[in-house]
Amino acid sequence: MKNITLTLLIALFVLNAAWAQTPVPAKAQSKPIALTGAVAHLGNGQVIQNSIIAFDKGKLTLVLDATTSKVDLSRYEAINVAGKHVYPGFILPNSQIGLQEVSSVRAMNDYTERGELNPNIRALISYNTDTEYTASFRFNGVLLAEATPTGGLISGSSSVMEMEGWNWEDAAHTIDMGIHMNWPPMMRRQFDFNTFSFSESANKDYEKQVGELEQFFVEATAYGKLATKETNLKFEAMQGLFDGKKTLFIHANNPKEIVASVRFAQRIRVQRITLVEGLGAYHVAEFLKENKIPVILPATQNLPARADDDVDLPYKLPYLLSQAGVMVSISNDGALHGARNLGFYAGTAVAYGMDKEEALKTITSNTAKALGIDNRVGTLEVGKDATLFVSHGDALDYRGNVLTHAFISGKMVALPGNQQELYERYSKKYGQMK
Amino acid sequence: MTITNYMKMKKSKVVMILALLFCGWTARAQETFPRNDVKDARAGLYAFTNATIVVDYQTSIQNATLLVKNGKVEQVGTNITVPKGYTSVDLKGKYIYPSLVDIYTNYGLSEVERVRGGGFGGVEQIESKTKGAYNANQAIRSHYNAADEFTMNSKVADEMRKLGFGAVMTVKQDGLARGTSSFVTLAERSDNNAMLKQKAAANYSLTKGSSTQNYPSSMMGYIAVLRQTYLDAEWFAGQNPRPFADQSLEAWIQSQKLPQIFDASTWMNILRADKIGDEFGVQYVIKGGGDEYKRINEIKATNANLIIPVNYPEAYDVEDPFDAERVSLAEMKHWELAPTNLAALEKAGINFSITTNGLKKLSDFIPNVRKAIENGLSETTALKALTSTPAQLLKVDDQVGSLKKGMLANFIVTSGKIFDEKTTFFQNWVQGQPFELKSMDTRDFSGNYNLTINGKSYNLEVSGEAGSHKSKIKVNDTTSIDVTGIFSNDLITLSFKPEKKNPESIRLSGWSDANGWKGKGQLGDGTWITWNSSRTADLAAKSPAKQNGGDKKEEVGKVIYPFVAHGTPSLPVAETMLIKNATVWTNEADGILPNTDILIKDGKILKIGKDLADPAAKVIDGTGKHLTAGIIDEHSHVGAASINDVASNSGMVRIGDNIDAEAINVYRALAGGVVAVQVLHGSANPIGGQSALIKLRWGESPENYKIQGADGFIKFALGENVKRTGNPASIRFPQTRMGVEQVFVDAFTNAREYEKKWSAYNSLPAKEKALALKPRRDLVDETMLEILNKKRFISCHSYVQSEINMLMKVAERFNFRINTFTHILEGYKVADKMAQHGVAASTFSDWWNYKWEVRYAIPYNAAIMHRAGVLTAINSDDAEMGRRLNQEAAKSVKYAGISEEDALKMVTLNPAKMLHLDNQMGSVKAGKSADVVLWTDHPLSVYAKAEKTIIDGKVYFDIEKDKQNNKDIEVDRARIIQKLKNAKKSGVPTQRGESRSQLDFHCDDVLGFEKTED
Repeated sequence: MKNITLTLLIALFVLNAAWAQTPVPAKAQSKPIALTGAVAHLGNGQVIQNSIIAFDKGKLTLVLDATTSKVDLSRYEAINVAGKHVYPGFILPNSQIGLQEVSSVRAMNDYTERGELNPNIRALISYNTDTEYTASFRFNGVLLAEATPTGGLISGSSSVMEMEGWNWEDAAHTIDMGIHMNWPPMMRRQFDFNTFSFSESANKDYEKQVGELEQFFVEATAYGKLATKETNLKFEAMQGLFDGKKTLFIHANNPKEIVASVRFAQRIRVQRITLVEGLGAYHVAEFLKENKIPVILPATQNLPARADDDVDLPYKLPYLLSQAGVMVSISNDGALHGARNLGFYAGTAVAYGMDKEEALKTITSNTAKALGIDNRVGTLEVGKDATLFVSHGDALDYRGNVLTHAFISGKMVALPGNQQELYERYSKKYGQMK
Repeated sequence: MTITNYMKMKKSKVVMILALLFCGWTARAQETFPRNDVKDARAGLYAFTNATIVVDYQTSIQNATLLVKNGKVEQVGTNITVPKGYTSVDLKGKYIYPSLVDIYTNYGLSEVERVRGGGFGGVEQIESKTKGAYNANQAIRSHYNAADEFTMNSKVADEMRKLGFGAVMTVKQDGLARGTSSFVTLAERSDNNAMLKQKAAANYSLTKGSSTQNYPSSMMGYIAVLRQTYLDAEWFAGQNPRPFADQSLEAWIQSQKLPQIFDASTWMNILRADKIGDEFGVQYVIKGGGDEYKRINEIKATNANLIIPVNYPEAYDVEDPFDAERVSLAEMKHWELAPTNLAALEKAGINFSITTNGLKKLSDFIPNVRKAIENGLSETTALKALTSTPAQLLKVDDQVGSLKKGMLANFIVTSGKIFDEKTTFFQNWVQGQPFELKSMDTRDFSGNYNLTINGKSYNLEVSGEAGSHKSKIKVNDTTSIDVTGIFSNDLITLSFKPEKKNPESIRLSGWSDANGWKGKGQLGDGTWITWNSSRTADLAAKSPAKQNGGDKKEEVGKVIYPFVAHGTPSLPVAETMLIKNATVWTNEADGILPNTDILIKDGKILKIGKDLADPAAKVIDGTGKHLTAGIIDEHSHVGAASINDVASNSGMVRIGDNIDAEAINVYRALAGGVVAVQVLHGSANPIGGQSALIKLRWGESPENYKIQGADGFIKFALGENVKRTGNPASIRFPQTRMGVEQVFVDAFTNAREYEKKWSAYNSLPAKEKALALKPRRDLVDETMLEILNKKRFISCHSYVQSEINMLMKVAERFNFRINTFTHILEGYKVADKMAQHGVAASTFSDWWNYKWEVRYAIPYNAAIMHRAGVLTAINSDDAEMGRRLNQEAAKSVKYAGISEEDALKMVTLNPAKMLHLDNQMGSVKAGKSADVVLWTDHPLSVYAKAEKTIIDGKVYFDIEKDKQNNKDIEVDRARIIQKLKNAKKSGVPTQRGESRSQLDFHCDDVLGFEKTED
């Protein structure tokens, strides 16, 4: 393993020369590329043991089984990746990518606008392509991420970003594809000094806050039907929810809040609904299945919420929910730096019951569906974006996740970032690396 | 006596006189007080005859007489002739008990100001705000005397007397040292007369009360302040003249001869308090929290006399299954078992007294004691705990607690045995002053009557208890008319509507005569009429004991260890185990051995090899599995009740003083293969507290968690946290890395001076020493000196290279070495210097960028340091990451390609070496402690699960047992939920999902505030 990693790194450094900032964004795909011989995990549950995966002008052109198909690859630059594994790029939903750098430094946080009802606030605008996180994400296979504002009852509009680009327009994959709503909690948590523990008590403002949301949504619907009107930026931003262009991301946690919030959105005729952070979803799995509501779960690598919970509940929650017929994807709810472990969050779900290819879906195709971008990404299928990577081994396991190539819309992107540069610098200082 | 007889009984003259006394009593002032009337001297002579007198909790005399004179018991017994001039009260059929005694109240004292927050935001308050020459710490209030403040409070006294109390101890429940409490009666003459003992006890606690000073702000700090104050007081007492004035220390010194009472409030705090007492030769009387049953053996071992509340939790509202999820099993079980607490104490032979302290409603007191009796507490012990024990604990048993000649006339008159549900408390006499609780002569009118109104007859039924009668007119067997009635001994009012459809009612008023009532009234049309009624028969007997719902006693659940979900009724025992055919990661020269057996016996690894056999051994198939040394976390905060205090140098506080044996994260860590951790102090200060090295012995007592004989460690910290970056208003020194260095230099310089002072004193010849002033013992200096003398070792929270370099230089200047840099995210930049210094490194695998000083943290850090020759470990500082440290170790393989064997050592052998435990753990080697993990898969794989986590040869986590355990939790919850539902149905008050959850500590947490990652 040591040799593989070192050799790889050196090879990668050669590719990228020296840099002081984040790696230079790659140029658009200039010639067709074919990856041959790898085990291809398509992200839709299928696996091709000996595959040909080819792409041109940023789109997948061939996804084949080499043992059964004969194709002419002469127009492609063929890269032999036999024995390695190819995956669709992992997709990170519900993150503050590009909006946050060093979380404890106020000047470096750009994701919570003041106010309660902010659908017009757009994450895209703050998105910093020079963030150091993107390189660290790519290094482990996370190639797409949703940049999401937080706070208030309606936080704002999110966009899906590619982990590469000169500026936010360049990096944007799907602009303003969703609006995030924080359903008011029915219970509030308080710290109690007498017992040194947290206690929960009823949120007295619950009805009032729900009322505020209801009025806002109802008026936004009515606004859409007006022939002539004075422009209202907030209501304008809301319109995509009622014609299915945008997804409403509902952040709700406990079972009653989940049912109440989904019913609310349905009543107001929101077309696409995704539930986020739904730790309590297990109790209402039947409801979510019947209403076809996808769920974006917090990271599996979490502590159980209650002392009484099974110690492995967060680990097995994706499995339990998918067994119950709910479409699940996995996010990173902790500090942003942890999001590079997205693949291992899915790996953890495998350790606790989930089939490997099903687990892969929770960070690829299921996520794409939950975000409403599955027409372009999430699986390795002809016509979709060539956003994929090659790993030495099983990318869901620490023991296999070592990337050799990554492509975003066909662009071969640099894998090493500043962290690898520092590794090289100091390894050389101590004579550990030549 | 039948009801009829009773009704016919002539009202005694005595009762009438008494009734007058109750309302006519005026406070008679003592001699020295000015008078505003003529002198009104009374001898207070009473004789109570024909009573059952309970003279003490184990002796009662039938048909006895009690003579009272001047507020004291003059005589008690049989064959006593009532002297002339005594007011005689015939108590035939009634009982006299000594009044109850409560020795933990705040009767007659002002409320304690509650300080909000208590965290560490805003401008810090470094010094005490107490005005005057008092202690340096605001929470030391030993100078307070309840006698200075005590003022009778009729309202509270009345409530307490209704419960049968006659005298109480009153204590201001404020501060770590709470000063002296007074023992007072509930009489209502004057404050001076009520006060029996001005200084009844000296009081202590583990809460800082109204103190606004920042230090101490943790359980560890509370204990440290009390320990330092004991040392200061001893030193101060030996200084003549005193070096400075400190009225708190003076009072502390004076009050040591009093009974010493410690308010501990939970079973864990009882053990903590007792340990402080043991150190300073004090046996406290300890006030508990009513949860002693959770650890009865450890409580018994303290030998402390206890004061126990009966404040059982209210039932939880569990109607909605989703809402019920908020209530934890521990809360439900405590609701169920709290009423068994006193019985458990009695059974264990622990001496205790019962207090009303902590009750939301005082009126719950007697019913709650009764509940304890229903749950197995003997009535004798209950009475003892409310009379003689509290009196003895305060050394006032010559005045209260029993009825003997010369003692206070503090007694209650009851209708029957004191704890019987049907018993009525009639009177409570305090210091010879009578208080009527319920009239003894309320007539019972229940029965059937023939009511004649204007010549028409009705069948009237009067039911219910005397004083609260109900009445109706029976038309036939199934139909009746409600009658509104007011029944007093002499007068009666009745009204009813004779016909349903007619809204007009008949209204009657009258007076009682020998066999009923007669009087006048008005019909619906206004016509005045006369009426009478005569008694015809007793009420038909009710079917007895229907409301008790049968005699079948409800079963209660078992106590589990620890008392939280995933605890079990019994603890694991050391087994002889033979694990066959596993892949064994030895961490020794043998490397990784495939298809190998290991034999565990008596808590140790006995043999490693092929084809091992032991007929006594339980054989475990390890085929396809991996066995490794148990994971050791160099940096953890699991299993501590608090982790951060706030003094810049907090070297006096000790994590070991506040091990939390009920922390759920301990079990979760076990499930991740962790066997031992260093529980470190947080990073709020350059010099933090002393660590505890523990094994995760889930279910054991706090002391048993600790690794016996382990070296002492201490937390140091550098950078943003210690300079209070998170608090822009902070004024605490230091505010820069420059100041941080000076804190260390200052601490070690002072320690050297301290050492000199003591060695000079200790080397004096005996005669001179006796005359010389003894230096003051200082817990901070002593800790610093331990470091200089290589008896205590530093684990230093650190990030950037400049500060890492600095601390090594400081240590070298004082001629010692830093043991470990923990976190050390820029260690890779100075790895060569670290190797030269000889310091170990314990780091995160891949955390970065959550604050400025970790901007340049890289996931190659561990590998670079390791390759530079630094002993390197991967740690967690986080209960989540702490339960999958094997995976964190795997990341150094993924990123930097170190060998898998070296990676695993980073979470096993290397931390063992850092903690100086590698002679007993950290590798799989014959003779070492059997602290091992059997994994389902390759231990560095995301797919590996700990199947068995073994500590000292005991299986503390078993993946199969855990599944059963999950089911047991559901079953136990379901059982109690049914009980809770029944309780709600029966009408008891319930609380809605007020769920409590434990804190998951990180370095930065000061009382749960400023919660960011490390």
